[in-house]
Amino acid sequence: MEKELEKLKEELKDKLKETKKEADILNIKSEYVGKKSRISELLTSLKDMSVEDKRKYGSLINNTKKELEEIVNKAIENIANQSNVSFDDTLDYDIEVGSLHPITIVAKEVTDILKRMGFTVVQGFEMESEYYNFEALNVPKDHPARDMQDTFYLDNGMLLRTQTSGDQIHSMEKFGAPLRVCSPGRTFRNEDVDASHENTFFQIEGMVIDKGISIESLIYVMKEILREVLHQDVEVRLRPGFFPFTEPSYELDCSCLICGGKGCPTCKHSGWIEIAPGGMVHPNVLRAGGIDPEVYNGFAFGLGLTRIAMMKYKINDIRVLNSGDLRYLENFKIN
Amino acid sequence: MLISCNKLKSHIKNSEDIDWLKIWDIFTIRTAEVEGVKVVGNQFDGVVVAEIKECQDHPDSDHMHILKVDIGEEELVQVVCGAPNVKVGLKTALVKVGGHIDGMEITARPLRGVISNGMCCSGRELGISDNHDGILELPTDAPNGMDLKKYYPFINDIIAEIDNKSLTNRPDLWGHYGIAREIAAITKHELLPLEIEEVKNDQEDLDIVIKDPNLCLRYCGLKIENITNNKSPMAMQVFLFYCGMRSINLLVDLTNYLMLELGQPMHAFDARVVKSIEVGLANDNDTYTTLDGEERKLTHDMLMIKNGDKYFGIAGVMGGLDSEILPDTTSVFLESATFNAGSIRKTALALGLRTEASARYEKFLDPNLTIIALKRLVYLLHQENPNLKFVSNLTDIYPTKVEEGHISLKKKTVNIYMGKVIEDNIIKDILERLEFKVEVTKDTFEVTVPTFRHTKDIFIEQDLIEEIARMYGFENLEPKPLKLDLVALEKENIFNQEYEVKRLLATKYNYHEVHSYIWYDTEILKMLNVSKDNVKILGRQENNILRDDLSFSLMNIVYNNLKNKPRFNIMEIGTIIKNNQNKRVLSLIMVDEEKNTELLYNKAKEQVKYLFSALKNISVEFKDNVKEESYYDKSLGKVITLENTTLGEINVLAKNITSKLAKKKIIICIDIDMDKYELLSKENILAKEVSKYPSVTLDYTILMNNKKYVDLKNILEEFKSNLVIKWELVSIYENKYTIRYTLGSMNKTLEQNDISKFKERFLNHLETHNLSLGE
Repeated sequence: MEKELEKLKEELKDKLKETKKEADILNIKSEYVGKKSRISELLTSLKDMSVEDKRKYGSLINNTKKELEEIVNKAIENIANQSNVSFDDTLDYDIEVGSLHPITIVAKEVTDILKRMGFTVVQGFEMESEYYNFEALNVPKDHPARDMQDTFYLDNGMLLRTQTSGDQIHSMEKFGAPLRVCSPGRTFRNEDVDASHENTFFQIEGMVIDKGISIESLIYVMKEILREVLHQDVEVRLRPGFFPFTEPSYELDCSCLICGGKGCPTCKHSGWIEIAPGGMVHPNVLRAGGIDPEVYNGFAFGLGLTRIAMMKYKINDIRVLNSGDLRYLENFKIN
Repeated sequence: MLISCNKLKSHIKNSEDIDWLKIWDIFTIRTAEVEGVKVVGNQFDGVVVAEIKECQDHPDSDHMHILKVDIGEEELVQVVCGAPNVKVGLKTALVKVGGHIDGMEITARPLRGVISNGMCCSGRELGISDNHDGILELPTDAPNGMDLKKYYPFINDIIAEIDNKSLTNRPDLWGHYGIAREIAAITKHELLPLEIEEVKNDQEDLDIVIKDPNLCLRYCGLKIENITNNKSPMAMQVFLFYCGMRSINLLVDLTNYLMLELGQPMHAFDARVVKSIEVGLANDNDTYTTLDGEERKLTHDMLMIKNGDKYFGIAGVMGGLDSEILPDTTSVFLESATFNAGSIRKTALALGLRTEASARYEKFLDPNLTIIALKRLVYLLHQENPNLKFVSNLTDIYPTKVEEGHISLKKKTVNIYMGKVIEDNIIKDILERLEFKVEVTKDTFEVTVPTFRHTKDIFIEQDLIEEIARMYGFENLEPKPLKLDLVALEKENIFNQEYEVKRLLATKYNYHEVHSYIWYDTEILKMLNVSKDNVKILGRQENNILRDDLSFSLMNIVYNNLKNKPRFNIMEIGTIIKNNQNKRVLSLIMVDEEKNTELLYNKAKEQVKYLFSALKNISVEFKDNVKEESYYDKSLGKVITLENTTLGEINVLAKNITSKLAKKKIIICIDIDMDKYELLSKENILAKEVSKYPSVTLDYTILMNNKKYVDLKNILEEFKSNLVIKWELVSIYENKYTIRYTLGSMNKTLEQNDISKFKERFLNHLETHNLSLGE
């Protein structure tokens, strides 16, 4: 008896598995739990059984009937919940997502960390006067940096800025001291373009002016930026450099991320990459910005955003960045 | 600049304590960047002095000889050699069997059937000169069989290459002696004084005139006769070769040697042609033939050395052919002078002739170096020519003497910059090792700056702090966070706003950001037959016109991407130059199939509305726009406006231009003025009351009959009813526009009666404007 009841349950489940239409399920229902079903027969036969058998099988048969009804009702409920529209639910289209330029992503990361250190983000002008690009930055008239072959001079007496450093002067004029600003932007040099040289590239300028600023704070800020942007502790070294607008001046190198400092063509086999020139703001520059160098001092730095983007994304041809070629650029999804 | 460690060692006491391979890493972080370090002299071994004892023609060769050479062994060694300068008695260099040259082992092998037990070498093969005219010729007193490196110990050397750019501001480092001074200071060694010879001034002064003391700061001259030995010692030849120069003859080599040693360029003229020296400017359009045989055109701002009334050399740049030192020269006029750095740089640049001399003069050399260099040259020349004779006084024209500098360096300033207190004696020691004189007072260091650091480099306190910081070692400074005041900073939002806009457009409308150049691609302009006039870059013929229309300047990028993609969206926020001003503009360009024109056009408007609505809470409008530019479609241009302000434009690229880029495409350009966008403040948001009662919607399908949406809109706007919450266009089918009205009241649920009244009034309104309902 027990076996037969088990078998009934299994049979019902199997049948339901193959059935999708509600009408068919209703047929199955009458077949298994209707008046003429086997379970009903068994129930009817109870009355002819001995007292002992009645006690033995009565509740078992009744419970089984309830279970069978439950199984069928559940199947009906499931059918009712299902959409009766049929379609290919395995289709999978490629989605199109826009992209930001790698320089934009890097600039955002650098400005984010600088903002957290209390810097205001400003923006300068790509067409600039000689005054802001050179003179106010303590670059004398006959300095090599002013040569025609390095600078795009324009027929209206202006030039395309060769550095973002002019924003030091703009910021000092606008905000005065104390001051913490950074200025990402595009700069121009009259260079022949090849895999590692561009005439149009991005820098970010940073400047801090306050009372009693030390070289040690400059080192701190630079290390923090590089760690944040390159997502790892980078080894940096400072070595003497020369720029008219800072004194003392430094070149900041970071260990080459391409070869890990062992030496490769990217770092000219030195293991180091020049990444951020900077130094303590020259007193003449402070004066040009209307700030008294006897009271205030500060530091300034430039950071090559283009170079950082190339290191970070392992871009080996600088020309990709200004090519507008979407086959490269569309990979830079927003993060 | 190439630096020989052998040379440096000769200037430093106890130099053997220094690790000459490792010192350059330290030099890089203390002084200037070293680009590479190379060990030289190790490309050969097993090379000995060999004397040719017998010399026979090779029977099977027209140029080879069979030699028997003495290498200090019992028997002579037979070698075959093809050099033209073989002769009995010549001493040369021989690689013995088992020795190596350039990584190759020398074995005994037959050359045209005759066994050769070794190989005779030229200077070039040994890597000690560029001479390959014949085998090396050694002095007759060289001991046969002696190892060549033992005989010439200077062949083993370490050569460091220093980045010239990092020496821009250090005129004192353009010679080995200056580098030696730095290394001595870094390693706390003693710099040895230079050996010089004082000239007994018991002759006549030379006739030397400086016309402009601003252009020629000092001129020293000396005439010497009876120079019979004009061959440079081997050590000097190899040194010059290792430093990248060619050995010519003793007089020329000595001027180069002094330039490499002290950084002072010098010139030796054949004294036979020298009459009187005048340093003055050239005349416009004169010509002069320099040593390299080139005829140069002169201008009135080029400084010249003149001999009598003839040009004799371009001051500080290059001498001339007519005063060249020749093989028969025995008397010489030596020049050691200092010229104005800016003038030399301009002349060299204008002539396209940057020489070792001009590169050094550009750096502001110390005029006090001229006389030392001249006395040093005399000392070295005398060693090779014991019988030389001075035939003039050492004549020194020095109009304005350059004096040492003086700086009062406040201890307080040093401590601020260094971020900590550094002991007085450390600072004093650092500065004194660099040859500054220091007197320590209570609050200051009174520093005397030597003239070789005082022409360009060191004038103010900060210059001295750099000296202290680099010698103290940047690696010994600890990174220290900035102390911030808790004050709100200036609000500058432009970078953020630009980022926000780009991010929205990339994520919502699939725009890809590109970067382009600030000038038009002139090739594309030509291809599209469009001419542009704007600010131009001087001295460039191509890509020289700055852009005044961002979208149009992106057409080269559109053109290139069309080769790979049928449809795409690109954007850039960039600078254009308009009316001589910088302007920031956002450009959005959509490229698609021509058949999608209407869809794309409506998308463009939607995107603009969305941008201003989502980020500024501003609802912009579109007005017809007639563009002057012929490359945009005349009828489809729109301006984007807010009240009376123009915020940007939507344009469709003209059909004839588009077809030059690709067939059957539509290109839509949106340009938004970011300068104005940035200043737009977000519309104030006030909480709005909403009705508690349900609203009712009514749809009307209206037959348009030759009307445009804008007409319908005006008609509907005219219809006033206080039940209308809003109306909107929900769909268009052919000329049937379906409008949905949402009706409601703040006070009650609308009744059938209210709605019927509305319907009646509305239909009347339509009728008076000749509009009817569709099916």
